[in-house]
Amino acid sequence: MELSQRDRLSELVEELTTSGQPQLNQYRMKEIKKICKVSNDCIEHVYHSVMSQLNQEHAEVRLSAFQIATELFSRSHHFRTLLVDNFQDFLELTVETDSEQPLPPPKEVARKLRSLAIQTVQSWQSSYGTAYKKLALGFHFLKQVKKVDFHDAEARTVAERRMEEERRRKMERIYKERVEAVSKDMEESYQEIGATLTEMESCMSLLFPGFDLTNIQPTNNTPPNSQPANESPSVDEQPCCSSDLQEDRREGMMQEKEGTRVEKKSNFEGKIGKEDKGMTEKNMNNTEATTGQEKKERDDKERRDGNEQQEEKKGKEDWEKRKREEEGSSEEEEGETLDQDLFIRNSGLMSHSYSLNLNLSPGLHVRETEDNEAVVSTVMDLHRLIITKHLPAVQNWVQVFTKSGAEQQLLMRALDLKRSLEAALHKHKELHIDYKTRVRKVMKASSDGDDDDDFDEVPEKEGYEPHIPEHLRAEYGLDPVPSTSTAPVTKEAPAEAPPRLSSRQLKRLAEEEQDPTCAAATLRRLTQNLALPAESSNSSGPSSSQKAVDAPVVPFGLDLYYWGQEQPNAGKIIKSASQHQFWVPIEVDEEVENKELLAESRSRYISFPGSFTPVSHYCSAPLDNGKLCQRQDRLKCPFHGRIIPRDQDGRACMKEDRLREEQEERRKREEQPDWRDAELMRDIEAATGEDLGSDRLGKKGKGKKKKYPNLSDLKQSTNTSRSRLEKKVLNKSAMRRVAEVMSKADRRKHDKFSNQFNYALN
Amino acid sequence: MLGYLTARQAGVDDPLRLRRAESTRRVLSLKLNPDRDVDRIHGNGVNTIDIDAVEGRYMLSGGSDGVIVVYDLENYSGKLQYTCKAVCTVGRSSRYVHNFSVETVQWYPYDTGMFVSSSFDKTMKVWDTETLKPAEVFEFEGNVYSHHLSPIARKHSLIAVGTKDPKIQLCDLKSGSRIHVLQGHRAEILSVRWSPRYDHILATASADSKVKVWDVRRASGCLFTLDQHNGDKSKASSEAVNTAHNGRVNGLCFTGDGLYLLTTGTDDRMRLWNSATGENTLVNYGKVCNESRKRLQFTVSRGCSPEFVFVPCGSSVAVYALHTGELVTMLRGHYNNVDCCEFHPDNQELYSGGKDCNILAWVPDLRASDVEEESKSSNQAAADQSSVNPAFQDAWSSDED
Repeated sequence: MELSQRDRLSELVEELTTSGQPQLNQYRMKEIKKICKVSNDCIEHVYHSVMSQLNQEHAEVRLSAFQIATELFSRSHHFRTLLVDNFQDFLELTVETDSEQPLPPPKEVARKLRSLAIQTVQSWQSSYGTAYKKLALGFHFLKQVKKVDFHDAEARTVAERRMEEERRRKMERIYKERVEAVSKDMEESYQEIGATLTEMESCMSLLFPGFDLTNIQPTNNTPPNSQPANESPSVDEQPCCSSDLQEDRREGMMQEKEGTRVEKKSNFEGKIGKEDKGMTEKNMNNTEATTGQEKKERDDKERRDGNEQQEEKKGKEDWEKRKREEEGSSEEEEGETLDQDLFIRNSGLMSHSYSLNLNLSPGLHVRETEDNEAVVSTVMDLHRLIITKHLPAVQNWVQVFTKSGAEQQLLMRALDLKRSLEAALHKHKELHIDYKTRVRKVMKASSDGDDDDDFDEVPEKEGYEPHIPEHLRAEYGLDPVPSTSTAPVTKEAPAEAPPRLSSRQLKRLAEEEQDPTCAAATLRRLTQNLALPAESSNSSGPSSSQKAVDAPVVPFGLDLYYWGQEQPNAGKIIKSASQHQFWVPIEVDEEVENKELLAESRSRYISFPGSFTPVSHYCSAPLDNGKLCQRQDRLKCPFHGRIIPRDQDGRACMKEDRLREEQEERRKREEQPDWRDAELMRDIEAATGEDLGSDRLGKKGKGKKKKYPNLSDLKQSTNTSRSRLEKKVLNKSAMRRVAEVMSKADRRKHDKFSNQFNYALN
Repeated sequence: MLGYLTARQAGVDDPLRLRRAESTRRVLSLKLNPDRDVDRIHGNGVNTIDIDAVEGRYMLSGGSDGVIVVYDLENYSGKLQYTCKAVCTVGRSSRYVHNFSVETVQWYPYDTGMFVSSSFDKTMKVWDTETLKPAEVFEFEGNVYSHHLSPIARKHSLIAVGTKDPKIQLCDLKSGSRIHVLQGHRAEILSVRWSPRYDHILATASADSKVKVWDVRRASGCLFTLDQHNGDKSKASSEAVNTAHNGRVNGLCFTGDGLYLLTTGTDDRMRLWNSATGENTLVNYGKVCNESRKRLQFTVSRGCSPEFVFVPCGSSVAVYALHTGELVTMLRGHYNNVDCCEFHPDNQELYSGGKDCNILAWVPDLRASDVEEESKSSNQAAADQSSVNPAFQDAWSSDED
């Protein structure tokens, strides 16, 4: 055999085996065959190179080598004899007959190799088994001793099959247990979930009776009409409900929010005294015609304005108000001309150009008010219950049932439950309930009940009271200080409602304000600072109580006790003579004058912590993404160092600062950060065609090129965060450093306490 | 060959010479032959085999599942292809079967009507071949690793038994009782062998890495203990004194003439000793893989001019020249560890059994008759062969050009 042929063969075999492809390259293979055809020497050479490749610890290499062997095995007798002579090793390397020599990674390829090898051995046996004894022996060995089932697609040995079987049985048992547990669990909580759903449903229909999305709820078919009897008035109430609702409806269904609000109120009123309310309503309608209604409506809106005005742009709002009013007031005009005087008398409004502010929010919107607070909180609780408990549980059941293939019925039931729960959640979402901030229930459980009771009994609540006398404000849970942040248009209106807070919340807020760590305290300071001047201008006269607040309160002390007098024996230490019978101390002065003590008793420390001023400047150092740093630290930003004055582009204003920054930048650029990995950069360069300077970097690192780029990298799996950390934490120098520190600590302890027995030992 | 034949014809040569030359040639050409099969009866590893000394026709084999099988090795069919049939079997269904792995089987040296088997179920059974029932059962305190009947003894019928107990038991077939105990070893006895030259000489190998040679007529102690360093104190550490190996000694074999003794140990060495003096001949066989914790049965050829040793070595059988220590060849055919091999002295065949449940017959693979003499007939034969075995033909497809 010529040397060139030999070299060419080795080259081809290496190329083929290191291609990493699941299939051989046909052209190369053909070339090998062509050379092999020439002489047996070539075959021998190929055989040896294939065997050496089979010995490589890489499943892809082995697979390719095995494929070459298969190709040649069916062609050449000589190759067959050679291979069969060494069939033990061949089987070890491809079928994994020796359990101590498992097939190398990657795993999937190894599995593929194994099953392919077993199938191939079987086909060889059927075609050549009679002629090659060792082949037959090997086949029988696989069949009899290793108990390979050649019909099994996975080509597993008996041991593996048994293990599989055992695992399956175990899983089955576990699943069965689980299904039992889960079905029991489901039986138990089925009722509960059903109750929850019903409750949720009725709550929602209370909040919004016209809610016609019931059809999305397949199981819980409670129609909105079938509410408990005592709540039905809400439906009956609708016609006699204030006309503004109808008006709103007419104006556009978009204003449902308004509608719901009023409706809710009427709901509530219906509960406390339907007849009373009807009476008053009628009266109002009779006497004041539309004015009362309008006022009410306006007040309503203004009350809301108080909440929303911060968010809305004033000018726009005004414009909108005008526009809205023009639309809405068409109906009211006749009434207005008639009862103008009456209107002025009643409302104190000099002008008719009051404004309406309607929020055109799409979809439903339920706002929590005091009226529907109980219902809303129930809904909230139920919602939370469903989210945190029922839905996960049901999902878990469904999962268990589907995984274990349990009875269809159980699964259906679980799915039904899940669907209805989800429907309830969806519905809840549709309602867009605005929750108020809430006091934790556990703390106020008892008072909560009381509140509810009060709620029902209070008769004043029945109608809307536009004017609340000053002395009653606290009772109504209103801020004693009226908010100044109302719109200028409403200034003349009688003291209107500030953001409404329940008495509970108020209490809570007060508590929070006492706590200096709480944000509320800061807020209070701010509001006090802001509010006080306004208050003084608004209210009739500054009250004395407010002055007392301004005066500092200091703890009582000796200096105050002797205020303006001479202290009798200040700064004197009086030593009493010994009372002992015969032990007498040496003569000492009975009184010792002490300057320091004297000064101390006369002076008083008053600490001036200063007042809290919130930081108004930003760090505004330029960030990578082009923005400026938005951190508001007082002196030093943790990322950008000392805060220095900067212009709007983030450049430092002072010259020395700018110089320093530039220097820093240069320094940073010089030391290479970790992410500028040479290989990564080389990749990027290859992709973009731009020189990023990877060569420079590459020289620094080892930059070892992979020998066979096509093979899957076995070491890749080792490049995990854990291994990287290990490399850092467990490297030699780090270990040495730690050991040094620890031994130093030990030595110190030893030096200190070596004379003590229990320390001396270690 | 022709030279030998003419010399023989002229009567110049000793007949033994021709015989030796031919058997040597045959041994050297031992191959795994597709023409010779041994029935696959054992469902588990084959621990031991024995060929009867009288006819050389029957072969015993003991498996690690307790099964004992008797094979007929003789081919009377007149065809080349022959499968050694199992004549009779002590299978798992037999009520006399050994409960655990059969470690040693041996024919009674003078008759195939009787054989002895010993097993890990702590018994040794003397069987009647005709009825396949045990005629006598010896029970011991520990697992029986090995037993041996003297192949030449005419004055006694003692069976030496090596058990887990360090004492060697001597059982008398005549009385059916254990008549004697040889003390001296400190660990279990893995192998026992009677000398084929002197009927009272017994060699024993133990896990305490010592090999002792006994004269059973002397009760007081052994004749000598084999020492790997030949008594050279400088080389031996204090513990290694009088040891044959640096590990467990699990194989013993006398040469056919009984002049030499071969031992194998788990230190992967094989040593050849002068059985008369106990001197280590220091033949270097190289590494002989040996991981067995039990007895290793190996054998020596008989009637060849340089004698050969056949020793299991991993999953193959290594063939060494006895006196030079040269590795002649490796017989590769088993797919798992080989436990035992036995040489058929008449046909120069080798039988080996291993953990892969196979008993393989290694048959001399002689060259086909010379082509030059009868070219036509040989052509015919070749054609026949190719028609018989298309598998041997190359199958290059034409499209690869």
